[in-house]
Order: sequence, then C-alpha cells, then structure tokens
Amino acid sequence: MITARNLTKRFSNGVVALQDFSLQIDKGEFVFLVGPSGAGKSSFINLVIRKELPTSGLLEVGNMNVALLKKNEIPYFRRNIGVIFQDFKLLPNKTVYENISFALEVIEADAREIKVRVNYVLDLVGLTHKRNEFPSELSGGEQQRVSLARAIVNRPHLLLADEPTGNLDPETSWGIMELLKEINKRGTTVVMATHNKDIVDRLRRRVVAIENGRIIRDELKGGYSLED
Amino acid sequence: MKIRTLRYFSREAVRGIFRNKLMSLAAVGTITMALLIFGVLYLVTSNLQYWGQRARNQLEVRAFLAKNAPDREVMEERLSSIPGVKSVKFISKEEGARILGEMFGQTDLFAQGENPLPDSFNIYPVSGADVEAIAAKVERISGVEEVVYGRNFVRLLNLFVRLIWIVGLILISLTVFAVLYIVINTIQLTVYARRKEIEIMKLVGATDSFVRWPFLLEGIYLGITGALVSIFLLIQGYTVLYGKAKNFARILPVLSSFEVTMELIVFLLVMGIFFGALGSILSVRRYLKV
Repeated sequence: MITARNLTKRFSNGVVALQDFSLQIDKGEFVFLVGPSGAGKSSFINLVIRKELPTSGLLEVGNMNVALLKKNEIPYFRRNIGVIFQDFKLLPNKTVYENISFALEVIEADAREIKVRVNYVLDLVGLTHKRNEFPSELSGGEQQRVSLARAIVNRPHLLLADEPTGNLDPETSWGIMELLKEINKRGTTVVMATHNKDIVDRLRRRVVAIENGRIIRDELKGGYSLED
Repeated sequence: MKIRTLRYFSREAVRGIFRNKLMSLAAVGTITMALLIFGVLYLVTSNLQYWGQRARNQLEVRAFLAKNAPDREVMEERLSSIPGVKSVKFISKEEGARILGEMFGQTDLFAQGENPLPDSFNIYPVSGADVEAIAAKVERISGVEEVVYGRNFVRLLNLFVRLIWIVGLILISLTVFAVLYIVINTIQLTVYARRKEIEIMKLVGATDSFVRWPFLLEGIYLGITGALVSIFLLIQGYTVLYGKAKNFARILPVLSSFEVTMELIVFLLVMGIFFGALGSILSVRRYLKV
C-alpha cells in the first residue's frame, strides 16, 4: 500500500523532517508510527497525501508514485485516502452531518447514497443524536469522532490517523481505537501516528519508531519503546 | 457536472454569504460604493452629453438674401434641397424688423425710414452636427448674400460633446482599475477567513473547480446585491435632483430619470457581476495550492 525508499524531506528553511526513510506497508496492515514530537510522523503523513513533495527518494502510495502525480490527478488520488487530522480540521460553519457528507459531496456522490452512508458512519461513531450540532458545541472526543467518520465515509483503502487520541481521556481514546480496529478488520490499511504509550503497548501491532526523521526500529507486535 | 452538484453549489454560495454575514456585508458595501461612483460618473457624463446634443440640435443657419434674389418659392426650393436640411422658414424683412424690434423693446423700429433689412431664411438641420456643412452649401447658392451661424460656437460645442465622451470614458476606465483593486481586496478578506475551508476541501479530494464554483457564485450574488443597492440609491437620488432641476429645464435640460434608468441598471448590474466574479476567482486562486 505504501512504499518509501530512501525518502528525504528537507524544508526550504533547512529543517530536515525525514532522512533516508525506507518503509513498506502492505495492504490490510495496522501500523503505529511512534516517536517524540517533531520526529517526522506528521511530515510522513503529509507526504503520503501529497500535501508536500519529497525532496528525494521514492514514495509510492497504492502503486502511484506520489511525486509524479499531475496537479489535476491529486484530488482523485486523495479520494482513496482517509485522514484523521491532529487538529480535526472540521469546518466550523457546518453541522456534524454536513462535515461528514462534505467528503461525499466533493466526489459528487449520489444524494441517496450520501444519506445512507453518512447515517451509517454517524451510527458507527455514536453521534447520530448530535448530527445537527456544530463542531464548537462538541467535546474534543466528539470532534475527533466526527473527523474519523469523515475519514471513513468514503470507504478509503488507506486510513491515516495523526494523533487521533491526542488530548483525549483514556476512555474516549479506547473508543476511537476500537473503531480503528474495526475498520482495519474490514480491510482498510491503517497507519496511526501516536505517542500514546498505553495504547501501543496493549494493542501489540506493528510499530515503526521514528526519531529525527529516521526509522530507528520496525517490529511486528511491538511495544512503544524497546524495553517493553 | 450534475444538476445536483449545481444546486449544491448555489446552496453553498447562499450559506457562505449568510454564515459570514459581516464579511458579506463588507463586500456588498464596497461594491455598492464602487458602483455609486460609476453611477454618478455615468449620470454626469450622459447628462452633459445630452445637454451638448440638445444645444447642437437647436442650432440653425440663417441665410440673408441679396436684393436681386429670385422669388421666395425658388429660394425655398433651393435651400430645402440641400441634404441634411430638415426645414426652412422664410422671414420677410418686415418680420425681421418686428423680431428685431421686440429684442430692443420697440415695436416700430423702422417706422420713420426705410427698412434696411434683407429677406432671410432660417434653415434647420436634421442633426446639429451638420451645421457647418450645410452653411457652406448655403453660401454657394446664388441669391444668398450672407450666411450666419455661430461658427465658433458650433466648433466649440462639437469639441465639447466629444471631449465629454472621452473624459468620461477615461475616468470610468481609470476608476475600474482602482475599484477592482479595492473590491478584490475586500473579497480576498472574506476568502482569507475561509482559507481553512478551502484547504479541507482540497484534502478530502475536491477538485479546484469544485472549490471555486461556490465562491464564484457567492461573488456574483454579492455583486448583484451591491448593484441593486446602488441602483436603488442612484435612482432615488436622481429622481429628487431631477425634480429640482426641472425648474431650470429651459436653461439646463436634464435627462428624465426614466430615460437613464434602463441603461444605468444594465450597466451597473454588469459591473457588479464582473467585480464579484473576478474578485472571487482571483481571491480563491492563491489558496487552492494545497
């Protein structure tokens, strides 16, 4: 699903976000990206969704070389990827329902299909009763679930989650994790950047540890840190 | 594009306006102000032009006949056959004396002596613009001794009418750029407030044109609103002014508000739509690079 080979990302101000970064993630995997803040987790996600371009090296997502995407291909490329953003990125002027249906309006889905799918994911994340509220009226955990619902409503092949449990209490965090596990079980590849040690240690999935833009560890069924 | 999507766009555009009330108001206000400037320029220019044309159309050529000129009928026919002449009017020397007497407040100007005035014709052109050409032709007709028309006045007037046109056009086109700059800046503010929205749209896979459409429609709606407000204000204001100016209509004729309305409405609506649409397109462009 994702192939990175000797990937390097250097910003124009000289900061190196990723260096000699090589990683292979297969279809259907559930991968944790762990590491301290600023290690390069978010940079990697931004490269995968073609928000940024790699400085050098190869990055393939679903057999597409991201660097070679044409400008007018990018929207269609992104439709296969669901992203849960660290800062949720919900539209403040739209209700919960509209925020989710938005991802389908954008791809000009059928009216009936939009209704069915949005109601389905609303139910899945347990927010049916808040469908007409605005993001500002929701708690952090609820906003996170809306963001999740929007990311999956499109049935993406790949789900990227950037700190989806950041700032959430443990109980809400586990609720989110249960949803991600469920989505992964249905065949979606899930890549989750986190520094929630508790979750990583208990789930025992593949762990890719990043530090200073380099991969320092990659183990199946790993823990948050080497000692675990 | 699906009809449904089009409906979605216009719904989004309307929502965009109402959910960003303050910004929309600022944009409508700016467009209204801009169009008011245009409207006033337009009204002034077209009235001055109208005034010039009216003055020109009141022009006449006077031909004084020689003592030995042929009969009145022959002369009348000769003068009438000049192209561009609408009508001619014979003024006998007696009538000439009477008119002159009226001007001096004396009824029997030449009562004691012989009337020294020649017979004359007033020649009215179809268009005031042809006065010079007609006068030149009249001069060459035998039996005509002298031709009088306000040569310098006519030249000045023609220049004046043309000048108003040119100055008006220059002013309007200069203002277009200034106004466009201001309107784009205002709309850019409204779009800036929603750059996050654009970014999110792009990140969930919206194409550029999908992002652009609601903003474009929004700009057009704002432009139309601004145009309607300025049209309303201009017509109200002009009607009041016209009511006042009518009293001086003999000195300074003014176009009735009915005569200017249709052109003004079309002109301002087109301008409003143009500003709104262009402002939106240019403003959104810079945030599409996600």
